[in-house]
Order: sequence, then structure tokens, then C-alpha cells
Amino acid sequence: MSIDWITVAAQLVNFLLLIYLLKRFLYRPILDGIDAREAEIAKRMADATQARIIAEAAENNYKKLQAKHLAEQDTLLEQALEKTEAQRAQLLAETRAQLVQEQKDWQTYLEQERLDFIKRLQNAGAATLFALTRKAVHDLADEPLEHTIIRHVGKKLAPLEHTLVAAAGEHTSATVSTHHALPESVQAQLTQELNTLIPNVALSFTVHAEQAPGLVVQVGGVRVEWTIDSYMEEFEALLAENTSAVQLGHQGVSGQSHARKQPGSEHEH
Amino acid sequence: MTIVHLSLSNSSDLPFEWGWLKLNATIVYTWVVMALLVGVSMLVTRNLRPDVPPNRWRSTLEIIVKLIEDQVTEVSHLAVRPVTYFAGTLFLFIAVSNVLLIVPGFRPPTGSLSTTVALTLSVLVAVPLFSISHGGVRHYLRQFIEPTAWLLPFNILSEFSKAISLSIRLYGNVMSGAVIVAILLSVAPFFFPVVMEMLGLITGMIQAYIFAVLAAVYISSAMSDKQKAIKTRKRHE
Repeated sequence: MSIDWITVAAQLVNFLLLIYLLKRFLYRPILDGIDAREAEIAKRMADATQARIIAEAAENNYKKLQAKHLAEQDTLLEQALEKTEAQRAQLLAETRAQLVQEQKDWQTYLEQERLDFIKRLQNAGAATLFALTRKAVHDLADEPLEHTIIRHVGKKLAPLEHTLVAAAGEHTSATVSTHHALPESVQAQLTQELNTLIPNVALSFTVHAEQAPGLVVQVGGVRVEWTIDSYMEEFEALLAENTSAVQLGHQGVSGQSHARKQPGSEHEH
Repeated sequence: MTIVHLSLSNSSDLPFEWGWLKLNATIVYTWVVMALLVGVSMLVTRNLRPDVPPNRWRSTLEIIVKLIEDQVTEVSHLAVRPVTYFAGTLFLFIAVSNVLLIVPGFRPPTGSLSTTVALTLSVLVAVPLFSISHGGVRHYLRQFIEPTAWLLPFNILSEFSKAISLSIRLYGNVMSGAVIVAILLSVAPFFFPVVMEMLGLITGMIQAYIFAVLAAVYISSAMSDKQKAIKTRKRHE
């Protein structure tokens, strides 16, 4: 157990050298590496925290946007439903109006058809009646119906002599219009009979196909009609009355059947 | 010149003499320990980069260095890296020297009184240097007259007793282990030497820890407040 001071000095130098070398190759690299890694980890954690904050903010923003979009979607859906409902109601109203209008048109058309049919029926009936009358007169009296009417008109115009004279006044002509052209003998006979009532008046004969059989005398401002129109009107009135009765009878039957159907339809509901 | 042919011995021996250069076994084995420590450190830390994950060797060194730093910080309550360098080097040098005791033919340099005296002198020099660098000359000198100037001789004597106790404790423990192993080898050459070698490893590590911790305590007490240093010293002693 002795101390060699040269060895002590050498060991001191060796130890100081070892401190330097370990500091250079061990402590500083290791501790600096640990510090750098800790700083890196801290930085990454801070970055992760920041990223998480950003992600949470983005998530919240996304949720808000999603909620907003859902609300907007609900609003749009509600608006679309309301708009669709309004359009549906409008279309239904338009359809109902169109149906009502078509029903009215159809009823108008039917009414028109009915009137036309009645008119045609009246015309046909009047024509048939006139033809039958003409045939009966021709068969029984052996002369046309117009001749019979004209021959009889003189007697009918006699009570109107003063009226006709007053109406003729200063007129020197009168007009006689018929459905068919009159033979000259009949025209001469009619001229003679009228001249006995209103002398010095020349007669002119005209034909109007649309005019009812008979004759119409126009003297000044007086117009005397001697046609079968009144009979035809009476015939049309009777026909219209009969067709209305038939129509009412049909409506009554259909109304009763409709009234019988009502309870059944109520039970079906 | 090869070391292989040398007959190594302690500082009292003169195994190699070449002109004016005289090397004893203590210095040569110290160089072996130094080469081992520095070589391993260089190998492990040569490609050290923060972006590369640490391998197992680097992790081992990190654990050791971090353990040393934590121990020094816990003992001294100061996070001063030079203290860690100093105390850590003391621990590693003594621990590796003592562990290499199991290598046949290796004589630990810590078994030489010259080495322990050198280490103790380094501690005695380091204490005022750290204290002066930390608090100035007046702060260091004031410690010798605290709590009263009458204690100046005792404080000076205390400083020298520190050196003596440090050096004799380490030298005695290491040398006693070697002597006990030698005695047991002569008595029971097969079983007890193995057990004593194992105990020697534990004792060597404990001695390294005690020496390094006491050095850290001395330095930290000189760097910090006196009353606080007394409390810290009592707690660790």
C-alpha cells in the first residue's frame, strides 16, 4: 500500500481525458439525442394536439354544415311539398273547372242537339202536315192548297178594307210574296179581289222559299200574313209540349233510379 | 512493443520500461478500461440521428446515461450537466474496472491506491471549481467560516477527511475483495472463489455508485446553500 505520485498524476490526466472523451462520444450525443427526441415527440404531440383541435373544429363545422344542410333539405322538402300540394290543388281545381266546363259544353251540346232535333222534327212534322193537308185538299177539292187559301183570302181581307186603304195612302203598288210561284190565273184572281178593296194599286208577286205556305201582302206600312205559320206554331207548341213531357218522364225515371242508388253508395262508404 | 508480453502488476510494479518511459499495470489497465468505454461509446453513437429509431445498444446507453443523470439530479437537486459528466465518468470508470475483475488476469486499476487517490484528488479539485464557477470565489470561501469563523480549521480538516475517506474506502473495498479471493483460492480453490467473485461484482458496483454519489453530493453541497447541503449530506450518508 504505497502511493506512486507519478501514477497518481498519470491517472489524473487519464481521468480528465476520459471525462472529455466520454463527454465527446457518450454524454453529449446520448443526452442531445434524448433531448432532440423529446423535443421531436413534444413537437409531434403539439402537432397532434393542434391537428386534433383542427380536426375537432372541422368535425364541428362539418356537423354544423350537415345540420344546416339537413335543415335546408327539410325546408326545401317542405317547400316542395307545399308547392306540389298547391300545384295539385290548382290542377285539381283546373281539372274540376275543366270537367265542369266540359260538362256544361256537353250539356249545351246536348241541348243544342235536342233543339236541333226538335227543330228538324218540327220542320219534318210541319212539312209532313203541310204535305198531308195539301194532298187532302187536292184529293178532296181537286185544286192546290194555295189556290184555296188565296180564294179564301178575299173574304178574310174584307174586314181590313179601311186599314188597307189607309195603309196604301199614296202608294200605287203592293207586294205579294208566296212560298211557291202562283199561276197566272190565281195571280189575276188575287189582283182582282185586292183591287176591289184598294183600287189603283198594282200588285207584284215574289217567291220566298223560306216563307211558310200561304201569302204575305205588304201594302205601305201594313203587312198582312195569311199563312199556315200559326198552325205550324201550334203544331210545334204541341210537339214541344209532348217532347218535354217525354223528357220529364225520362228525367223522373233516371232521378228515381239515382235516388235508389244513393243509400247503396252510402252503405258502400 | 506489445502489451501481450508484459507482466502487468500494480503501480508498485514496473512491468515495462522503455528508455525514460515507465509503465505500470495500473496505467495500462486504466487505458484498457478507457479504450473499452470510449470505443463502445463511439461505436454506438457514431451514426446517431434524431430521426432514426434507437437500436438496442443505443437504448442501453441511453438508459445508463439517463439513470446517471437522474441520480445526479436527484442527489444534487441541480440539473447541471458538467456534474453529470464528472460523476457519471467516475461511476462508469469505477464500475467497469470492478466488473472486469472477473476477467482472468485483469487487475482493476481501482485496486491501486494511486488510482483512488487520483480520483479523490480530482473530486477535491472539482468541488471548489464547480462551486466557484457556480457562485463565485466568495461563495466558496464563505463555506469554510459557516456557521462561525471558529469552525474554519474543522471545515478544512473536513475537506481533507473527505479525500482520505473516499480514497481509502474505494481502495480498501476493491483490494479486500482481491485479497479475500486470493486467500479463498488457497483454502477452497473451486467453490468459494466463484461466490466471492459474484459478491465482488456486487460490491464493485456498489462502490462505484457510492463514490459517484458522494462526489455529486460534495459538489452539489458546495454549489448550493450550506444548510441545505448539510441536510442533503445527512440524508445520503
